Amino acid sequence: MDALALLGVFLKASLLSLGGLSSLPLLRADLVAPGIATDDQLVQAIAIGRISTGPNGLYIVSLGYLVAGVVGATMALVAATLPPLVIVPITAVARRWLLATPVAGLVRGVALATAGLLVATGIGIVTATGSPSWWQLTLAAIAVVLTYRGTLHPALVIAIGAGAGLALGR
Amino acid sequence: MSAREFGEAWALSQLSPGIHLVALAGLIGRRIAGWRGVVAAVAGMMIPAALITVALTAAYGVIAASPLARAALAGVAPVTGGMTIATAGLLIRASGRHGRAHLATDVGVSIAAVVATLVLGMPTLAVIGAGAAVGALALGRERPTSRESSVG
Repeated sequence: MDALALLGVFLKASLLSLGGLSSLPLLRADLVAPGIATDDQLVQAIAIGRISTGPNGLYIVSLGYLVAGVVGATMALVAATLPPLVIVPITAVARRWLLATPVAGLVRGVALATAGLLVATGIGIVTATGSPSWWQLTLAAIAVVLTYRGTLHPALVIAIGAGAGLALGR
Repeated sequence: MSAREFGEAWALSQLSPGIHLVALAGLIGRRIAGWRGVVAAVAGMMIPAALITVALTAAYGVIAASPLARAALAGVAPVTGGMTIATAGLLIRASGRHGRAHLATDVGVSIAAVVATLVLGMPTLAVIGAGAAVGALALGRERPTSRESSVG
């Protein structure tokens, strides 16, 4: 995949998502399904994105690097940075319109559809190997609870997974 | 910048596509120093973090093929899957701050999206479009008013 096509995929995912990880279902559909990236790479990118500083959505920079090196990371950074900024000129001319109810409803609908897609994507990641074992399913359940509650730093949740993998995954 | 201005910038940033924190940085930057402020705030938020992310990815790449890293990944994979599922819960929590009836609606729409993609095999883009249409037509009666959210 050439750099411009990759930029297009990342831009599309960024433009049609609402915050953080919500670009993931589109990226998995556009990159993993056609074989450009693997679920393993997706997992590595999400994990590194959670360990690294900055917004969670920067996991796509890690994914870009895994798929196409520094060029891929640059494309991902551009795609992560530009779409959110459309809000700046729009608020300058149409702040009232933006806070009007049809727009709020549209955003709410997209958020809820994305929530459903994220559940499907999460299930897809957990079952990517075919048949996850009991300890992998347990880890997934623990990660759901810890992440939803948000009291433990995500890097520590990742570390729990890595530790369990080292102990049980060989 | 007053608390009220910040609150409004936050509410507007939640309507932006992509990473909301980038939109928030852009809005704050413009308020404080015009378009130069936008560039400074967004570059300050994104460039160091992106460099650190690339460095971590490259460092991991050195050990990625080792048996130990493969074993660790077998535990990290279900964790990231679980985090992804939890993010859905956080999105619903951020959306449904209007009481129990709304929560039922929100969960219902989300479950419909799960069924559409997993059972009916509907393309991801179509599910997002359907959500947008349903939302604009039927879910817009109340504005998001709260400032709390954990979805970055």
